[in-house]
Amino acid sequence: MSVRIIDVRERVMEKNDEIARTIRARREHAGVPAINLVSSPGAGKTLLLERTLDLIGDELRIALVTGDVQTHNDARRLSEHTAALVQAVVTNGACHLDARQIDHALEAIDLEETDLLVIENVGNLVCPAEFDVGQHARAMVAAITEGEEKPLKYPVMFHACDVVVVNKLDLLPHLDFDLDRFVANVQAVNPHARLIPLSARTGEGVDEWCAWLEAQATTPK
Amino acid sequence: MHEMSIALEVCRMAEERLEARQLGQLVTVGLEVGGDAGLEPDNLSFCLEALLAQPPFAGARAEITRVPGDDLRLTYLEVDDERPHH
Repeated sequence: MSVRIIDVRERVMEKNDEIARTIRARREHAGVPAINLVSSPGAGKTLLLERTLDLIGDELRIALVTGDVQTHNDARRLSEHTAALVQAVVTNGACHLDARQIDHALEAIDLEETDLLVIENVGNLVCPAEFDVGQHARAMVAAITEGEEKPLKYPVMFHACDVVVVNKLDLLPHLDFDLDRFVANVQAVNPHARLIPLSARTGEGVDEWCAWLEAQATTPK
Repeated sequence: MHEMSIALEVCRMAEERLEARQLGQLVTVGLEVGGDAGLEPDNLSFCLEALLAQPPFAGARAEITRVPGDDLRLTYLEVDDERPHH
């Protein structure tokens, strides 16, 4: 047996981060901001994006990449609200999108003809915080049905987000959810996060979210 | 939760090097895992050993060293040049 040791000493995330840097450089060159949209499963990312496309999809050319562990359902749903191609990434078990998958998805997206890129990540509040996909901002959808404690239970993800959308506000009369306590918990882990309470179902508050997105698209990145 | 994703990436990194340099069969994968890297070392070790039992590997071991900070590094590959890598 002739055993020898090969020295490597490379960061495990190096390859992902390197691809993320090239994505960032490409989209900055084209002047396209990218939002990495995260949430736990079922918080309402896809419905919020459907509403978003209905409201501002005519003014802004929004390119979409959706990540799901299985099925193309989200991409199919979103396609009904936009003429643009919605790129679906099926991760086949992986709990997040990585930079390599976004890089492949971007092959079919013309950044010169895009104002805003939205990456709908896999529903998961742990792993997507670790994987840079070349975004310039992270937004989270947190549903009030998840309770007030989520920011304290998933501080890394809440800390990494620029915006926290507080969704399913129409259910407030039916729940014991304390919005003030939730807001205080978000601020405890991320004092800079902007909070946008809304109901993707009724449409209440969605205009504020759209205004934030529009501001991202018109600010040079 | 993403220990399996990290383990898959470690295996991809190992395989890339074994193929590019036509090295022999992998015996040990050496990793450094920071205390603040957000990973549970025992869980990572379990995921790695499950993957390293599958081809193209043939039952390599994972040797995890805990270090301070949030670093996560593939430090070394121990290979046996008399057993070909498939």
